[in-house]
Amino acid sequence: MTAIAARLTPPWWLRSNAGLIGVLVLIGAVSIVGATVSDRFLTLGNLLNVYEQTTDLALVSIGQTLTILSGGIDLSVGSLISLTSCLTSGLINGNPDRVLPVVAGVLALGTLVGMINAALVVALRVHPLIVTLGMGAILQGVTLLYALGPVGRVPRSFNVLAYGRIAGIPIGATVALTLCILIALLLRYLPLGRQIYALGDDANSARLVGLRRTRILMFVYGASGFCCAATGLYLAARFGVGQPYTGVNYTLASITPVVLGGTLLSGGRGGVIGTMFGAFLIALLNNLLNFMDVSKHYQLVAQAVIIILAVSIYVERRRME
Amino acid sequence: MLTLKGISRNFPGVRALSGVNLEVRRGEIHGLLGENGAGKSTLIKIVAGALAPDEGEISFDDRPVSWSSPREAKLAGVHVVYQEFALFPQLSVAENIYLGNERRNALGLVDLRRTRRDASELMKKLGVSLDPRASVASLSVADQQMVEIARAMTHNVRLLILDEPTAVIAGREVALLFDRLRRLRNAGVSVLFISHRLDEIFALCDRVTILKDGRLVGTQDTADVTRERLITMMVGRDLGDLFPPRSAATRTDQPVLRTDTISIGDRVRDVSIELHAGEIVALAGMVGAGRSDLALGLFGAVPISSGTLHIAGKRFAAMSPARAIGLGMGLVTEDRKSQGLAMLLDIAANMTGPALGEVTRHGMIDRERETSIAAREIERYRIACRGPATPVATMSGGNQQKVVIARWARLCRSVLILDEPTRGVDVGAKAEIYRIMRELADSGLAILMISSELTEVLGMADRVIVMREGRITGELPGREATEESIMHLATSERAA
Amino acid sequence: MSGSVEIASQVAPSWSVRTVMTRFGIAFALPLLLLLGGVMSPAFLSPGNLSNMLLQFAPLAIVAMGQCMVMIVRGLDLSVASMMATAAVIATGFSGADRDVASIVAMAMVVAMAAGLLNGFLVTKRQVSPFLATLATMILLQGFRFAYTQGAPSGNVPPFLRVLGSGKFHGVPYNALVLLLLAAVLGVVLHRSGFGRRIFIVGGNPVTGRLFGIRSDAVTIACYVISSCLAATAGLILSGYVGLVDNWVGQGYELDSIVACVVGRVSLRGGRGSILGALIGAAIIVILANEVLLLGIPIQAQLIIKGIVIVAAAAVYTRRDGS
Repeated sequence: MTAIAARLTPPWWLRSNAGLIGVLVLIGAVSIVGATVSDRFLTLGNLLNVYEQTTDLALVSIGQTLTILSGGIDLSVGSLISLTSCLTSGLINGNPDRVLPVVAGVLALGTLVGMINAALVVALRVHPLIVTLGMGAILQGVTLLYALGPVGRVPRSFNVLAYGRIAGIPIGATVALTLCILIALLLRYLPLGRQIYALGDDANSARLVGLRRTRILMFVYGASGFCCAATGLYLAARFGVGQPYTGVNYTLASITPVVLGGTLLSGGRGGVIGTMFGAFLIALLNNLLNFMDVSKHYQLVAQAVIIILAVSIYVERRRME
Repeated sequence: MLTLKGISRNFPGVRALSGVNLEVRRGEIHGLLGENGAGKSTLIKIVAGALAPDEGEISFDDRPVSWSSPREAKLAGVHVVYQEFALFPQLSVAENIYLGNERRNALGLVDLRRTRRDASELMKKLGVSLDPRASVASLSVADQQMVEIARAMTHNVRLLILDEPTAVIAGREVALLFDRLRRLRNAGVSVLFISHRLDEIFALCDRVTILKDGRLVGTQDTADVTRERLITMMVGRDLGDLFPPRSAATRTDQPVLRTDTISIGDRVRDVSIELHAGEIVALAGMVGAGRSDLALGLFGAVPISSGTLHIAGKRFAAMSPARAIGLGMGLVTEDRKSQGLAMLLDIAANMTGPALGEVTRHGMIDRERETSIAAREIERYRIACRGPATPVATMSGGNQQKVVIARWARLCRSVLILDEPTRGVDVGAKAEIYRIMRELADSGLAILMISSELTEVLGMADRVIVMREGRITGELPGREATEESIMHLATSERAA
Repeated sequence: MSGSVEIASQVAPSWSVRTVMTRFGIAFALPLLLLLGGVMSPAFLSPGNLSNMLLQFAPLAIVAMGQCMVMIVRGLDLSVASMMATAAVIATGFSGADRDVASIVAMAMVVAMAAGLLNGFLVTKRQVSPFLATLATMILLQGFRFAYTQGAPSGNVPPFLRVLGSGKFHGVPYNALVLLLLAAVLGVVLHRSGFGRRIFIVGGNPVTGRLFGIRSDAVTIACYVISSCLAATAGLILSGYVGLVDNWVGQGYELDSIVACVVGRVSLRGGRGSILGALIGAAIIVILANEVLLLGIPIQAQLIIKGIVIVAAAAVYTRRDGS
């Protein structure tokens, strides 16, 4: 029995996150429905489009996965995305020479904001939900002080981030995928990665064992901030201009792929690869609904139904274990 | 190597420790003996850096230290195996062992293969065979303890503290544990071993320190002290005074509660017991033998998978707490804080909680009535508090327990089940709780008491029922039961 | 654990200075804020301004009371804003005449009960985290709303609702009277009734609730239903205030109601909170917003102040309660 089981052992990235099977099954189901709806659905061209449309959601959700794994949550992501996208286009303001320093500066700022979140969680001993909620309000205020409407512009060449392709492969999405794989490896192979799971699994045990909570949270929220800044850059590239409300929907939207990908909202179990598939599933679903000529308005209903089904089923499975 | 001087620590409503001195020498196994609530757990939390003392000095290796976190204590070589463990249920055995001390390869990355291999070797040395990949949540309590001890081995442990390790393991596992601890001592490690079982103290420890009600009673070489002397030091009086006399046959012939081969999942199997009005029945056995599950099942808090319950002549295939309360049953749970009390509410609300209908009129709570009920019970059971509106969270463990017992004593008409009724309360409160239990039995209740303290079982029970691995393994009349006969039924290895 | 554990529940208070400060400290912030506002800008305390603040206060306070009940049972209701918008869309979905008010109210309440039941069901029976469950309901309501209006809501709010939402009686807004009525009823239910006691027991610890023979799930579900119904009520009132309807009436109220509760000392961990606290929290938000406006501070700074207030309030309470 064990021998057979050992031979059939799936690869680690699948094994470490049983929720992945769920999201893969859903992707399969959507694909099958898609194939019956249109011949063009399962073509390479269309799938690459879907892949490209995954970029923004994947980027934010990867960071969000880390905060959730550690037993917290980051509700400041939407505002941080708005702020960074405004700063990107506002500071570059069409000058190609400023692209590099501004990109570097925006990524550093995002990371710093995340680390401030972590510092507040630790120093004030307040739940991350409240801290990041407050931070979200503050950042949105700062963004609006900076710009009340679309601000600045980015050079035409900057849009490679959003629309560029190398040999047909979308660049932005591949950046997200690379980031995802890097973080997956980090979660698995760095002590810090294992400790993130441990902290999310049982915070009290983590304290008794002597894990350095501050350091772990600094990394986790810093990474989330970094991911937001990356999303901000991407959105500035996609729209050619930063807008003060561009990120508003990402705060809650970033949680959906995480949960669909099998990460427990209570922390301690899951992973970023599931999140990547979760983001892909949502893009694929929207794509399918477009093919089916379903109005944009019903797409929301479909998304909600999928979320409700998915979380209910995951919970049921967890209880049986 | 470890010296504590004048350690004091207060909690809201309790002085947990006052002026305690303790010295643990290099390479000795030092016992820490005391009743529940004597302050043992608080003391080790202070040594481990998980709690700061209000007063007093700690020195380790002749240097004064003030650890502000468990991490600092750990770096100095102090490792604690807590009763409730510090494990990560979703992570694997191997990961739990090496967490914070990861096995790495040349690149500084976590070497998962080596982690598993080292974990296997370590556990082989400890005499346990566990799959290093298994999640800790899937292990038995004894195995979880081994994971904790294995983790301590991976650190440069100089002082190993074990908080009541034998409360959750039995027989062969205890012998193995002791053997391992002796080998550690011979390797120069100091061990602080907390227990309230005298046999274990004599079998294992070189010296023993006794605490009572948060104060130091004394430190003795185990070679120069008798069992009786230790008991007197620990309890502070003769055991005879602690327990009220058994009363002469108040028991009725018809059982109030009878179970017919009930099972609860795989934790309770085919249990048939009878409880009669007027008697105190003790349910003895090891932690994890299914006693608490049986209690919860009788009360309807967990579903019964098969079998039937007969209460007051009626037959039930399913029970619910609401129905059980309606039948006049009560349950004092093992864990007051997380189950038995509404910690955020006051005494009055906790008194009436399970029978709100009694104090509501047209849906509204009659606060006056509730307050007067609480005031009466506070007086009757001499509960120390500032009145019926005292929040229970601010009270000491013993008084909290009296609130729970007073509540059920008032509401109960048939069967009262008490799960570890004296855990975490001081000796004075203990004696009172015993007296109340006997009074209740005499007034016609059937009492089922779950206890892991054999002195308590022997002192209180009219009948002793012993459970092991979910089954009843025997029944003894209270007057004839001995520690040995109970332990034999509770732990004897299955006939191979 | 601190020496004195503050309990905002059905417990009769003792009136020592310390208890009064910990219990009602936040209430002293109110007159202080009002006074400060008056000093900084004279227009602040003018009857007109006060009555306008009252007008804005009612919808938020109504939502915050529901949020408070959900938070006491260890929950969170993110679907309230979406519920408000849905109720507003329903308000314009009929002829726009007063004869339809009864149908509008009935329909809004039916939808609200369905949403509340769904929230409660997911949280109790499926053990989905409240955050996620109410998030899903939020999106679901949003989807139905968009599907129904095809993205462009139209129609008129009946005059009765207009008056209710924006009319005043001798300077006192009608909606404040509605709020007063609801607050009185909910205050009594939560703090005096047997049902309220059960809410606090279950919120403090669901296991204790079960062992007390209380149907914890039913109590929890009821709180979600009440929250949804209050949100729908607030949505109808707000639609009357705004006059025209878009798909986003009530946007931001989910977060504002949570901020109000946290500021008003309703615990995110459940078991603690009071209707009065929720009302005070909501009042503080409205006053701050108004002062920012009067002082000529850029309106965007409101958000910054709100953010600082919620984090600071939570930090102060953590310190007091220990843990």
